[in-house]
Amino acid sequence: MSDSSETQAERRTFLGILLGGFSVALVAAFGWPVFRFLAPREQTGQDQQVRVPREQVPVGTAHFFSYQGRPAVLLQPAVGEFVALSAVCTHLGCIVKWDAAKGEFLCPCHGGQFSTAGQVLGGPPPKALEPYPVAVVDQELLIG
Amino acid sequence: MNLQKRAIDWLDSRLGVRELLQAQLGGYRLPKNINSWYALGAVIMALFGLQFVTGILLLIYYVPDTEKAFASVTMIMNEVPFGWLFRYLHVVCSNLIIVALLLHMLSVLFMGSYKRPRELTWLSGFTLLNMGLVFCLTGYLLPWSQLSFWATTVATDAAGAVPVVGDYLVAFMRGGPTVGAATLGRFFALHVLVLPLALLGLVGFHLFCVRRNGISQAPFGKDYRPVTHQDTFAHEEHPDGIPFYPNYTSKEIAVIFFALAILAGITFFAPWLFIPLDALEPADPFSTPEHIKPEWYFLWAYQTLKIFPSKFFGLAVQGAAMTFLALLPFVDRGPERRPGRRPLFVTCYLLGLFLFIGISLWGHYS
Repeated sequence: MSDSSETQAERRTFLGILLGGFSVALVAAFGWPVFRFLAPREQTGQDQQVRVPREQVPVGTAHFFSYQGRPAVLLQPAVGEFVALSAVCTHLGCIVKWDAAKGEFLCPCHGGQFSTAGQVLGGPPPKALEPYPVAVVDQELLIG
Repeated sequence: MNLQKRAIDWLDSRLGVRELLQAQLGGYRLPKNINSWYALGAVIMALFGLQFVTGILLLIYYVPDTEKAFASVTMIMNEVPFGWLFRYLHVVCSNLIIVALLLHMLSVLFMGSYKRPRELTWLSGFTLLNMGLVFCLTGYLLPWSQLSFWATTVATDAAGAVPVVGDYLVAFMRGGPTVGAATLGRFFALHVLVLPLALLGLVGFHLFCVRRNGISQAPFGKDYRPVTHQDTFAHEEHPDGIPFYPNYTSKEIAVIFFALAILAGITFFAPWLFIPLDALEPADPFSTPEHIKPEWYFLWAYQTLKIFPSKFFGLAVQGAAMTFLALLPFVDRGPERRPGRRPLFVTCYLLGLFLFIGISLWGHYS
């Protein structure tokens, strides 16, 4: 290979690298905003605490609501005792139902059973329902 | 053996891609004196490509409902990360597309490239220009701002001047007697589905015509001679011309980046050129803002309607002008394309251009 063709090959490689670098920079400059635009938006304080009127949760009944963007359930198993749990089954993400007759939660998808405290009683769920803190403030229940 | 070569070898053994690429890229010759104006078609396609991308992104958050549309656009602008960027790009790019379409048409007119055998290329291109305008009109309503609402009211109202069926035509376009939820629904469907599909089809036909006829030689320089076309089909060959790839594609890419630089400049430093104050208020069907005016590319039509005492006459003049332009290749049939040897055409061309700019400015300041 002669000197001039070597120089030409080097120049071609250099320009190729330069063009590649420029293309990558261009894709990144446009790709990052696209990624941020599509990425799920952060929860900004809303739903951090949810208030539910106490009369909506009579003894032995369940009240379903949305907490931090996910389905949750409030329960009064005994007078004055309140429990807040995630309503999302830990097996495959279906929403549990409250079976008042049996006094337990039942997942309609694969028959998972949970106690009023969210503990697994039977079926395929690998772990308990996630509990949330509940406080009674005046006539309201404060979750979170 | 590097990966790129192996990939091409694999494809070549199955589809004969090397022969295809050679015929369509390196072996496809363009006239030696081709200039940057010929790259405007590529610029328009690149800008439309960008509109597809930003439009799809905006669709993710936009809600086509009269109660929610304005709030969804406000959310895109203020809350969604980089939402402002994609909306500004979409708005500014739509205006740049109209500029590029007009420049493309003006350059084709000046160089006489619309003449036989390229009548169909011209007709499809002229239809594409009008389609671009309808794209803008339908997209303009979607944010459901005061500007959107009233500009659409004024624009659709113009069709009422058509004799006999005028009122029905207006109601048909709006989906009711006034601009409302039905208008938003049909404009949305047109803007995001019907027009993009139609555009893809027509651009395909336009490119087919361009490729099938061959690129016309620029009518400049001492070597240029007018070509008299026969009744039989002939592809315009340029055996001594430059290869489409890489010689001309590099020039096209340079012009595309020049247009993108303008787009970025306006998007980052002057987006308000295309988003006036009335665009910041939600639509109120009971309160018309003062001095409502259409977008700059419709100002000529708006002012023409005002100049003539009869709205019908104004509309007829617009229709006649557009029809004349569309059918120009069938009227102007001489083979001569050199501007210096077409004094009547160049005079009409310049007068028409000045008239367009003058009436638009008059409309803007009236």
